[in-house]
Amino acid sequence: MIMPLINGLKITLKHMFSKPVTLQYPTERPDVAPGFRGLHALNVSHDRAKCVACYLCPTVCPAKCITVEAGEDANHDKYAAVYEIDMLRCIFCGYCVEACPVDAIRMTQTFELASYKRADFTYNKERLLEKK
Amino acid sequence: MVNLTIDEKQVSVGKDATIYDAAKAAGVKIPILCHDKKLHPFGGCRMCLVEVEQMKGRLIPACTTPVTEGMIVRTVTDEIVKARKLVLELLLLKHPIDCPVCDAAGDCDLQNLTYEYKVNTNRFVDEKFNHAIDYDNPLIERDMNRCIHCGKCARICDEIVSYGAYTFINRGIEAKMGTEFDGPLNCEFCGSCVSVCPVGALNSRPFKFKARWWALNKVKSVCSYCGTGCQLTLGVKDNKVLTTVYDENQGFHNGQLCTRGRFGYQFVNSDRRLTTPLVRKNGQLVEATWEEALKLVTDKLAAAKSAPASAAALTTARLTNEELFVFGKLFKETVGTDNVDHSAGYAHEALTKGAKASFGITASPSEIADIQKAEQLLVVKSDAYETHPVIGFEINLGVKRKGVKLQIVSDKKGKLGKLPGAKTAVHAPGAEVALFNALCASVIEQGLAVDAPGLAELKGSLSAADAQATGLSAEEIAAIAKEFATAEKALIILPIGQGYPGHDANLAQAAANLAILTGKIGKEGAGLLIMGEKNNSQGAADLGIYPQKGGLTAQQIIDGAASGSIKTLYIAGENPVVSYPNRAKVEKALDAVDFLVVADLFLTETAAKADVVLPVVSFAEKSGTFTSLGRRVQNVRQAIKPLGLAKSDFEVLSTLNSALGGARYAKQGDVFAEIASSVAGYAGLTQAKLTDQGVVVPVTVSAKLTAVAAKTPAAQAGKFALVTGSALYHNGTMSRFGEGPMYVCPDGYAELSTDDAAALKVAEGDTVKLTSATGSVSLKAKVGKRVPKGVVFAPYHFGEASINSITDGAAVTFVTVGK
Ligand code: SF4
Ligand code: SF4
Ligand code: SF4
Ligand code: SF4
Ligand code: SF4
Ligand code: FES
Repeated sequence: MIMPLINGLKITLKHMFSKPVTLQYPTERPDVAPGFRGLHALNVSHDRAKCVACYLCPTVCPAKCITVEAGEDANHDKYAAVYEIDMLRCIFCGYCVEACPVDAIRMTQTFELASYKRADFTYNKERLLEKK
Repeated sequence: MVNLTIDEKQVSVGKDATIYDAAKAAGVKIPILCHDKKLHPFGGCRMCLVEVEQMKGRLIPACTTPVTEGMIVRTVTDEIVKARKLVLELLLLKHPIDCPVCDAAGDCDLQNLTYEYKVNTNRFVDEKFNHAIDYDNPLIERDMNRCIHCGKCARICDEIVSYGAYTFINRGIEAKMGTEFDGPLNCEFCGSCVSVCPVGALNSRPFKFKARWWALNKVKSVCSYCGTGCQLTLGVKDNKVLTTVYDENQGFHNGQLCTRGRFGYQFVNSDRRLTTPLVRKNGQLVEATWEEALKLVTDKLAAAKSAPASAAALTTARLTNEELFVFGKLFKETVGTDNVDHSAGYAHEALTKGAKASFGITASPSEIADIQKAEQLLVVKSDAYETHPVIGFEINLGVKRKGVKLQIVSDKKGKLGKLPGAKTAVHAPGAEVALFNALCASVIEQGLAVDAPGLAELKGSLSAADAQATGLSAEEIAAIAKEFATAEKALIILPIGQGYPGHDANLAQAAANLAILTGKIGKEGAGLLIMGEKNNSQGAADLGIYPQKGGLTAQQIIDGAASGSIKTLYIAGENPVVSYPNRAKVEKALDAVDFLVVADLFLTETAAKADVVLPVVSFAEKSGTFTSLGRRVQNVRQAIKPLGLAKSDFEVLSTLNSALGGARYAKQGDVFAEIASSVAGYAGLTQAKLTDQGVVVPVTVSAKLTAVAAKTPAAQAGKFALVTGSALYHNGTMSRFGEGPMYVCPDGYAELSTDDAAALKVAEGDTVKLTSATGSVSLKAKVGKRVPKGVVFAPYHFGEASINSITDGAAVTFVTVGK
């Protein structure tokens, strides 16, 4: 009866003198692991999104939260005229990244996605383009 | 029958079968890239290699090797798989592998086989092709970098379409699928080559990048343009018809379509569609609710019930059978007027009067399947290709594969006449009836006639003047008559339509006379095939949507409206302003009528004159049945929800009928059952029985010879004979709302012979002014060798510079042509 009590107190005492686990967020920031699956970003190459609107990510997405609409540019090439992710539905599985044949989309370490308005959770192409 | 073993399975097949066919029959799948069941074996890709016990030591292409008795075939061994992998590796060596941006991805044979055979690496390295991509035509994009040289496009264009736009050019590694002088593609744009291309080398431009293949919902339906009744598959996404999907197992035509069916679907989701009812207030059409619009119509029709002779109704033959049935009930029974007609009145008379008089039915005694079974075809007007292109493919196949002999009698030359051995007799414009009478006379004279009811009467009516009026020599007529009469199985093909006022009841009877007189009725591969213009022309004839108790015909209704005796006119889908003769007269009549209701998809030239416009839906937004030429009843399936507030004609007509005291038809299926029980010939049909193939309704023919007098118009000195008709890319006036057809053929034109053009100093593309007794119109000139000297041809589909502003319902209009 007394031994468990002592053991418990031992743990408490140990933690009182070691570095705290709790982060004082937002003044303290976490170290996000490199493989973390946060907000998506569309990769850019030659000043334009790499995405060729192949529709593989909306096809694979289990949450059906990606909307792509392809367009034809002046060179008759395919590009994403519309690229939208509904973050309210995204389950951050990363399948979209895996499916992309041209390495056009990745997931960043951004995890602060809260917002006041529902509409703000729809990330359009403009918002998703990687920032230089 | 030949017996053989394929992968341990016993199978017996016909002696013409190849190993591939036999394997298919045995349920064994052999991969193919260059083979197509519609085309002659080619043996170009070597994907179908198999092993045959009796021919050990090498691998045998399954698609070109005929079966022999006792063959033992193995389709999967290590060696075969290795060989197939090598084939794929070699193909992928030059292939750009741009699947992410290629529209074929998902439906690409190369992609599928690469996946199936796990070709992940390539032993070889080479540079990719760098061919320029052909973006120059509006409908087909050609990226020869993706081509795998299967030759299917060239073969289908040559063997079935008979156009011959492609051929391989250059040799060895330089070889590529090329066009005339390696220039941009300029053909009939039937899209057959796009359909069969196993990869993404040929793509449909209107569908480019619109959706991925796997994201499309595929709905089987029937083409809503011409009477051929081709089955098609609509590719649907987000309540939009985005494309037509090729399915080689559909219909007698194996999924092949013409340019209208393949590329003309955009009218369904056009921005110009009417989505709300319109009601005229203070001279302006303004948006209204359905209640308001329908109340106006109900009130007027209710008032008309007491004076039914003052009401009339016109419909297009594009409605479904069920809609036409309710249309008939509403106007003929509930309102009580017999002033009900369709297709300008004259464009159905070949069936409703002609076939009725000669055969006792309102349909052709023959069906589409007879074309390839015939020995001799007699096609009336080379235009049969333009009016019914996929029937044209059947004729091509009959002539080239089955050795069917082809004789064309026409007022101009045409594509069909270029088929091997085909003969075109170019007769005087408007002399069709005279020609058939002359043929009958010649058959009798040559002692080739059989006895048939009415023979004496016919004999008495034939005169030597007929042969003279045709402008053909006596020998020529005798030769045609002899060839037709002596052929065991001979079939006459007669297209009809609003552009062909001369193809009336008389012509149908005259043509029927020839078929009856030579004993061609009631035999397979012989007889007479009358080809209705619209998707449901045959259905409209069967359902009796024309005056039967002394009511007014379409032309009389127009006259009645002009004179004031017709006060209320309901027009469902018809566009008389453009498609009826004498535009000024029609416009005046529609302006004069007290109350005009138009139910249409678009604010057409006719709808713009209406007091109430009701927005109705296209074939893609409703279910029902169409009856194609040769009387095949087929299921039409709803693919998308109605646009905006539009309702189906079925709903509108049924609502009106019940509001006026008639029955309320709730379900289209119930009406089909009623049609089956009340319309002659449709007895015993159920919608379930129609399945995907449709059902050819059998006909019982009692053939009778009838005397018809030919009224060949005499040539007028100094004037040209104007004949109207169909352009290949259009059908009626609805195809104008499809982008595909409008890319290729946006305006009307007047086609002149080279000689006349030279005399008039007119070049292709110049504006010419045609003046008749009715009016004048300026059109772009098209110059060629198709029309003979002294004849001008103009298609009737166009609203601007409409040829019908100068016609007046005659088969031939005499015009002067100036600059
Ligand atoms: S992470 Fe998963 S759920 Fe989110 S968009 Fe990508 S595929 Fe869809
Ligand atoms: S998978 Fe990649 S290229 Fe394809 S649509 Fe998605 S982001 Fe674009
Ligand atoms: S579209 Fe038709 S006519 Fe043109 S090349 Fe292809 S198959 Fe031939
Ligand atoms: S274009 Fe297509 S159909 Fe024609 S040869 Fe090339 S791969 Fe075959
Ligand atoms: S032939 Fe007639 S039914 Fe067939 S695809 Fe062409 S327009 Fe449609
Ligand atoms: S399919 Fe047999 S060789 Fe191409």
